[in-house]
Amino acid sequence: MGTNSKRSERRSFIKYLGAAGAIGLAGCIGDDPDADDDNGNGNGNGNGNGNGNGNGNGNGADPDVDEVVIGSNHPLSGGLGGTGTRMDNAVKLAAMIKNENGGIESLGGAELEVISGDNQGEQELGGEVTDELIDEGAQILTGCFSSPVTSTATRAAERAGIPFVVSVSVDDAILQETELDYIYRPQPPANQMALNHAEMVTQVIRDAGHSVETAGIYYIDIDFGQSVRDHLREQLPANDVEIIQEVGINFGETADTQVTQLVDADPDVVIAISYEAETVELVRAMDDQNYSPPFLAGCANEALNDRAALQEMGETAEGAFATNFALNPVDDRAAEVRQRFEDEFDQSFDANVAMTYAAAEVIIAGIEAAGSNDPDDINDALTDITVEDHIAAMPPITFGPDGENENALAPLFQVQDLEDRVIFPEEFAESEVQL
Amino acid sequence: MSVSISGLLLVMADSVTALQLSPSFIRPSTFLQLLAFAILLGGIYGLVALGLTMIFGVMDVINFAHGALMVVGMYIVWWLSTAVGLNPFLTIPIAVVALFVLGIAIHRLTIAPIMDAPQENQLIVTFGVLLIIVSAIEITFSADPQSRVLNLGAVGIGGVALPGGQLIALLIAILAVVLVWAFLQRTQLGRAIRGTADDREAAQYVGINVPRIDYLTFGLGAALAGLAGAVIPFIQQIDPHLGDTYLINAFVIVVLGGLGSFPGALVGGMIIGFVHVFGQFFLPGSGNQIAIFLIFILVLLLKPEGLFGGGS
Repeated sequence: MGTNSKRSERRSFIKYLGAAGAIGLAGCIGDDPDADDDNGNGNGNGNGNGNGNGNGNGNGADPDVDEVVIGSNHPLSGGLGGTGTRMDNAVKLAAMIKNENGGIESLGGAELEVISGDNQGEQELGGEVTDELIDEGAQILTGCFSSPVTSTATRAAERAGIPFVVSVSVDDAILQETELDYIYRPQPPANQMALNHAEMVTQVIRDAGHSVETAGIYYIDIDFGQSVRDHLREQLPANDVEIIQEVGINFGETADTQVTQLVDADPDVVIAISYEAETVELVRAMDDQNYSPPFLAGCANEALNDRAALQEMGETAEGAFATNFALNPVDDRAAEVRQRFEDEFDQSFDANVAMTYAAAEVIIAGIEAAGSNDPDDINDALTDITVEDHIAAMPPITFGPDGENENALAPLFQVQDLEDRVIFPEEFAESEVQL
Repeated sequence: MSVSISGLLLVMADSVTALQLSPSFIRPSTFLQLLAFAILLGGIYGLVALGLTMIFGVMDVINFAHGALMVVGMYIVWWLSTAVGLNPFLTIPIAVVALFVLGIAIHRLTIAPIMDAPQENQLIVTFGVLLIIVSAIEITFSADPQSRVLNLGAVGIGGVALPGGQLIALLIAILAVVLVWAFLQRTQLGRAIRGTADDREAAQYVGINVPRIDYLTFGLGAALAGLAGAVIPFIQQIDPHLGDTYLINAFVIVVLGGLGSFPGALVGGMIIGFVHVFGQFFLPGSGNQIAIFLIFILVLLLKPEGLFGGGS
C-alpha cells in the first residue's frame, strides 16, 4: 500500500516477528506442553459407592485427624482446560463418594478435602502449583495430564516429600529417568502402551485370518506422540510389522498432506497417535481422498475412545482398533461411578476421567492403609499397596520400585456401531472382534 | 528455549530415521495432489495475512490479536450454525460485519488512546487483547474442540481430490483480495487510506481525517481476520487457540510479500503454502516449519522490502 520505505517500521516488525518466530520454532522442535492421553469408554453397573481399598501397612485410627487434604493439580484453563476440569471433578467425586460412605475408616471417619490448582497446561506452572497446594495443606497430590507439567510437578512434590499419584501422563521419562521415592503412576506409560498395542493389534488381526505386515504411523509431533512413536518403532518390528511411513502433524494443521503420504506408502495398518482434533482431521482427510487402509488403529488415541468423536468421524472409524487405558467395562461398580459423574457435573466421562478417578482411588486406598494423614506414612503405604477394587480396566494396581504400576494395561478396543468396545484381553472383553 | 547437545543429537537421529522413510521420488498423481493442497492452503494463508498487512501498512501497528479475531469469526460461524441453526454460508457475512464492529471497538478502547506512544505499547496492548478474547471464548464455549459446521466433501478432478472447505476458502480469498484492492484503488476512501499509509503527517495536511482512517483500517483488518476465521469451521474442528497456528505463518507471509502489500499477501501465502505442503511431504516432523523460517531469513537478507514491497 505504502510507497515509503518505512525502514524503521519494517525493522520493528521484523524484530517482533523474530520473537514470534522463535516462539513458533520452539513450539516445533520443543517439548510442547500438551496433553497426553486419552478418552475412554466403559460401562457396567453396580453399587458405585466405593473407592478403592487396598492392603498395606495400616496404622491404628488417629483420633486427632478429622480431615485429609488431597491436592489436585490439573489444567483448569487453557487449551487443556476442558479435559483438565473433568479430571479435577473426578478427584472431587472420588472424595465425595468416600465421604458419603463414612470417610476414612482407619482414621475414625476423617473426611477428605480436595483443593484444586490450575496449571493451565503450562510446564512452568507444574511445580509452582504443586508448591502452592502443599502450602495450602495438601498431604497427597495428583495431576497433571500434560507430561511436561507432570514432570515439573512431581519433582516439586519429591523435593517436598509429599506423595504424588499421577492421574494421567504418558511420558516414560516422568518416572523412568530419575529415581523418585514419592511418585506413583497407575496408568500404563508410553512403552507399555506401545507394547500392548503392537502385540494385541497384530495378534487379533492375525487370529482372525488377516495379514498385517506394514504400518504407517500418524503422530502428533510433541512429546506425547514422539514418545509413543519411538516405542512403536521397537515394538512393531518385534511383532513382524515393518514401519514404512511416519507422518507428523502439529496442532491446528489439516492432515491433507499426511494422508497423501499414507496413500503413497499404502501400509496395511495406519496407527494414529493423536488427540481428538488431529484424529478427526485424519479421518476427514481420508474421506476426502477416498483412502481406506485395510486397518485403522489408534495407540493412546483420545478420539477412538470418545463416542462423540466417533459419531463425528462416522463410518470411516468403524472397525478401527485402539489401545488405551479405560474404564472397566465388565465391572458393575464402574458404570455407576460414570453415571454419578455425569449426573453430578453434567460432563462426559471419558478415559482420562476414568483413569483420574482410579488414581484417586489409589490415593484413598493409600490413606486408608496408612491410617494417618502424615505424608510419609501415606507414602510408605503406597509403596506396598495392592489396590484391587478400582474402576480401571486393568488388574490390581501395585507399584514397583520405580513407582510404575506393575500391572498397568492398555486393553484393546474395537469401534463397533460407532462405540468403543473392549475386545482384548478376555478378562476385560465386552465384545468379540469383528473382521 | 535451551536445547541440550544430547537433545539435538536425538533430533538429528530422529530426522535421519524419518528421512529414510521419506519417498525418494514422487509419483505424478501424488505431485498433482500436493500441488492442489499447496494452492488451497496458500489461499487460506493469504486470506489470513490480508488483514494483518493492512493494519500494519496503514497504522504501523503489529496486531498480535489478529489470530484471536480470527477465532471470534470461527466461533460466530460455528455458534450461529449449530446453536441458532442458520445456514452456515449465511453466517460468514454476519461474522465479517461483527468483526468490523468489534475491530472499531477495540481500536477505540485500546489502540486509539496510545497511537502516538512507542510501538511497543501497541504491541503489548494487542497481545493483551489476544489474551482477553481467547480467555473469554474459552470461558464461554470451553477449550474443547468443536465440530465442523458442514461436511462439504471433496471434488475429484483427474484423480486429484479438492476438499470442499478449502476450495471455498480459496475462492473467498481471491474475491477478498480483488474487492479490497478495488476499494483501495477505486474509491475516495480507499485513496485516503493509501495516502495515510504513505505518509500520515502529509495526509493530515491534505485534509484526510487520519484518526477516522485508523478506525476504518482497524475495522477492515478485523473484518478480514473475521472472514479468514469464518471459513475455518468449514475446513476443520476449531478451538480457542487455533488462531495462533495461523498467526505465526501470517507474520512471515506479511514480510515475505512486502509490508502493506495485498498482492504480496496472496503471493506470499501461496509460497508459504507450497513450502508447507511440499516440506511436509519431504521433510521429517516439523521440518516444513523450519523451512518456512529459513525462507523468511533469506528474504530478509536478499530482499528485505519483501517481494512486493516498495511499490503501491
